Amino acid sequence: MAWRNLGRNRVRTALAALGIVIGVISIASMGMASAAINQQASAQLGDLGNKVSVSAGEDAEENGVTQTQVERIDDLVSAGTVVEQKSDTTSLSSRADTVDVVTVTAVTEVAEPYNITSANPPETLHSGALLTNQTAETLGLGVGDPVKYDGSLYRIRGIITTTSRFGGFAELVVPLSAMADRDEYDTVDIYADSGSDAARIADRLDSEFNSYGRTEEKILEIRSTSDAREGVNKFMRTLKLGLLGIGSISLLVASVAILNVMLMSTIERRGEIGVLRAVGIRRGEVLRMILTEAMFLGAVGGLVGSLASLGVGAFIFDKITQNAMDVLVWPSSKYLVYGFLFAVFASLLSGLYPAWKAANDPPVEALGE
Amino acid sequence: MSIIELEGVVKRYETGAETVEALKGVDFSAARGEMVTVVGPSGSGKSTMLNMIGLLDSPTAGSVILDGQDVTGFSEDERTEERRAELGFVFQSFHLLPMLTAVENVELPSMWDTSVDRHDRAVDLLERVGLGDRLTHTPGELSGGQQQRVAIARSLINEPEILLADEPTGNLDQETGGTILTEMQRLTEEENIAVVAITHDTQLEEFSDRAVNLVDGVLHT
Repeated sequence: MAWRNLGRNRVRTALAALGIVIGVISIASMGMASAAINQQASAQLGDLGNKVSVSAGEDAEENGVTQTQVERIDDLVSAGTVVEQKSDTTSLSSRADTVDVVTVTAVTEVAEPYNITSANPPETLHSGALLTNQTAETLGLGVGDPVKYDGSLYRIRGIITTTSRFGGFAELVVPLSAMADRDEYDTVDIYADSGSDAARIADRLDSEFNSYGRTEEKILEIRSTSDAREGVNKFMRTLKLGLLGIGSISLLVASVAILNVMLMSTIERRGEIGVLRAVGIRRGEVLRMILTEAMFLGAVGGLVGSLASLGVGAFIFDKITQNAMDVLVWPSSKYLVYGFLFAVFASLLSGLYPAWKAANDPPVEALGE
Repeated sequence: MSIIELEGVVKRYETGAETVEALKGVDFSAARGEMVTVVGPSGSGKSTMLNMIGLLDSPTAGSVILDGQDVTGFSEDERTEERRAELGFVFQSFHLLPMLTAVENVELPSMWDTSVDRHDRAVDLLERVGLGDRLTHTPGELSGGQQQRVAIARSLINEPEILLADEPTGNLDQETGGTILTEMQRLTEEENIAVVAITHDTQLEEFSDRAVNLVDGVLHT
């Protein structure tokens, strides 16, 4: 019944539904755009957010972080992995090619810092070596091949996949024993459970090592990226709210269009509604009929809008993350559901006044039209 | 035994500073199986009187008694329930819903009521008014006489006690009007209900059991 009432003035109904469609598209695409930007930003920042890097400060006596300091750090960090490492550079060559500058990192804990692809990735490195994928490709080396560093041969046990765009450099990872001739560590990385944990650890280490009474010294240089990450997150939230706000305004405009359509159609049908009331249709039933009409309008507009938004979203994701299918994952596709629900809700809300007005119109006056 | 009674019904309308008295103490009654015509010039208060009997409006003074029950002080919702259960309406301009088929229009008064299925009765009524082959036609595809027959079938769907007709032949030619009245008379006799019709049409008077005259808000029998 409600459905057929809508069919009576197709142009008007279509225009109102179009308003809703545009509203839903704008609100859903804005949401999905922010989801895409957020996803891309997270991918680029990687897990830097929960990492604290410690190296020798300008006031340090030694040329690196000492074994004693590492042990103290170990004691202070209750939750998280402490990874001490030494670095060097070398050049690697094979029959295929030569890579002149390769960063060499001597480290035991490799599970946390590196993303290793191999049949059986090692947790800790006591023998053998790891090589970044680009370097391995350039040199034509794979798992099992030997590489030479500082006069010793190491067998490649795994290839490091560099996901982060900042990490796409040449790196050779060897056991700490390879640099046993040096006492100090160049850097100590702490992988905390979360960004806020990392910030807390950074503060703790700073007060522990860098303040003696009133004087401030830079014994250790402590860097945490969690502050930056927090800033990025805050920015993302603001961006998302702003975009959704713009989207909501267009849906608001669409609701006013529905209000207008429903009001016009009830005024137009005043006599008819009077007949309904005269033949014993209850006020609540008239109310329900008109609300159902509004809801249909919202549901159809919302559905079409959501489908169109899916297309827009796929386009946005294709442009931003280069993968249109990402639009289907929940953090982004939820905006399609929200958009649809919002459309139905807004339509119901705009149908309320016309429905109430029609239901409470005295039948005698309505019939007199 | 009257099914509907008006006792000293007065209706006053306030239009700006002026007060118009449309009904000036009307006493009226109709019994089951009886067809009563109310005639009178326009502006005599006929429609107002029909609104009183049809529980569409309440009187300023006097009382309305439906089936032995005083319904004068009923609220709008209570009156709606009474209209639904006891009354059928036929209007001058048919007032069918254009997007519904004939049978759906007949079912309309009970459409929201999920406890009863009136489909069979709707089909039966349409067959009885000679529209058995027009069940799925919409009002736009029916002639004026056919539309009024659909409206009569609609007025009877809830098995009312009283049928109220407001110029039922007003929009029809003489011949069609005559057929419609014959149908209406036959059906109301079959269903044993009271019919109250207001009209200018002298033809309608011929079909009725008695006619009353309403002039300037006063009823003359």
